[in-house]
Amino acid sequence: MAITLSENVIELLRNRESKKVLATVDKNGIPNVSFKGSITVNEEGKIELIELLETSQTNKNLTYSLWFDKTVAISVWGEGGTEYEIKGIPRKVHIDGPYYEKKYVESLERNPINDISGVWIIEPTEVRNQTYAERKKEQDEKYPIIGHLDKDRKL
Amino acid sequence: MATKVENWREKEAGIDEIFEKYPEIPKIIILKTDVHRRGYVLSEKAERLLEEGNYQSEADTIFGEKLGAKKIPIGLTFRDGTSLIGGYRSNEGIRDHYVIDAIDGKFYVTDNGNVYEEVDFWKEPDFYHKKTSKGTPMGEVVNVRPQRLNFAISRVCHFWDTPGEGCKYCYVGINGIEATKKNIPALYDYDEIAESVAEAIKQQGRFSMIMVTTGSILTGKKVFDDEVDEIIKAFEKVKPIFNRKDLKVQLIGSAYDKEQLIRLKEATGIIGYTADLEVANKEAFEWICPGKAKHVGYEEWKKRLYDAVEVFGRGNVNTGIVGGVETAQPNGFSSEEEALKAVLSEAEELAQHGVSVAYIVWGICGIFKDQVPPSLDYYIALAKGLDEISRKYGLEAYFDDYRRCGNHPNTDLGRI
Repeated sequence: MAITLSENVIELLRNRESKKVLATVDKNGIPNVSFKGSITVNEEGKIELIELLETSQTNKNLTYSLWFDKTVAISVWGEGGTEYEIKGIPRKVHIDGPYYEKKYVESLERNPINDISGVWIIEPTEVRNQTYAERKKEQDEKYPIIGHLDKDRKL
Repeated sequence: MATKVENWREKEAGIDEIFEKYPEIPKIIILKTDVHRRGYVLSEKAERLLEEGNYQSEADTIFGEKLGAKKIPIGLTFRDGTSLIGGYRSNEGIRDHYVIDAIDGKFYVTDNGNVYEEVDFWKEPDFYHKKTSKGTPMGEVVNVRPQRLNFAISRVCHFWDTPGEGCKYCYVGINGIEATKKNIPALYDYDEIAESVAEAIKQQGRFSMIMVTTGSILTGKKVFDDEVDEIIKAFEKVKPIFNRKDLKVQLIGSAYDKEQLIRLKEATGIIGYTADLEVANKEAFEWICPGKAKHVGYEEWKKRLYDAVEVFGRGNVNTGIVGGVETAQPNGFSSEEEALKAVLSEAEELAQHGVSVAYIVWGICGIFKDQVPPSLDYYIALAKGLDEISRKYGLEAYFDDYRRCGNHPNTDLGRI
């Protein structure tokens, strides 16, 4: 089910300095990961990314996910170690039309060898805060049994 | 007058049953295929929405279309970028049409109260209403798909010069006869084509390929010599527009012999070559395409495709078939199962020689105007079977895929 991304996640995804990785699977379940600097959030609150290569495994896997309602995952890592995982389902790809052409021109301005395949729109379905300090705190509170005894030793 | 299939919903597996029967085939491709097979109309709301937007209308080209006052949709795009070419009022009166409705400012495919998929109509390119130096609207010289420019050499197919020799499913031949009666020149003006192409490709990101086609020209020292000459003449005008020797062009032409193929490739620089066999069965081909059978022959047509692989390279040659036309009556297959088996067997032989097969859904017209296209089940089994053959022989079809053509359910499946 579609969710609304919080402002801090949107900000992190829109920040060009953030590191962003997209994980997809193919029709046989074989995973593929790829850095995707173009990942951002559009005005409708959906995740958007530009796929440059028509023949890439990512492009095939995004198509597969759109066709069969399969989930993809994005990891975004920003300043101070802030990290989120966002899951979502590709719902649309622009391969023509004014919006595609706008993105095409912008892409050429960044690098004249670019020739984009599509602008993918992913509907977010789940967000997890993966920032280490926060995940560690959460784990320690929820599962006090986990962890090594030497750290609990009275000094 | 179309042949209506009475109570067809009771006689055939419906789309929801086909979704269940083929879980490995994406629903969008099944829907696209069925919308093509049954055709579509617009609700009043959708008609109004279409008029409001910058959507492309049909144009006057080899395919018999005309820019008019009212917008006539030329094609649809689905969420996955897949196109549907034509389909508006196609196969009318045979089975019920789908209805494209407007809901919250967007277009949706609907049928019998069910809302299936959001779609959009093709946007009009910037050059479309500009005029050539001779005053012709460029959209009537070169027409377009979402990512492709199309132009033609001859609007007349000379297989139709001898009564009874035209391909029975075809309307291009009939349109050519009409054009001749109106004293419209058989050949397009290559200067106007070059001007229109040059203007069209100024729009950044709009076009990724050119498709060139032609009605067959039988004259010359050998059959098709004059056709090859005309294509070369057209490219003498078009080639200087580009900064490279090999051009992102697919030629859909007649089946040329090896000398003609080499001459054509060297002179034009085109990358992709298609010679449509149309009917993948010898007996059905000879009945349905008597002109092709007489002037070239079924086995020779295939041999020329194999020669083309040597000239253009593996992956750059394919052949189109009119999916389902092999079931035309009275001489076609009466059993869909037997028809499918026969077509896939031929497709496998072609693939063994490096030639892939792309099918289109049969749009009923021409001499076959009273025929009935087969079931949706047949079309999906055909798409699946052809895709499996392409994978088995490692034949990729980028020059005829969802982006560059969009008219072939089986090459759509090749995307993943």
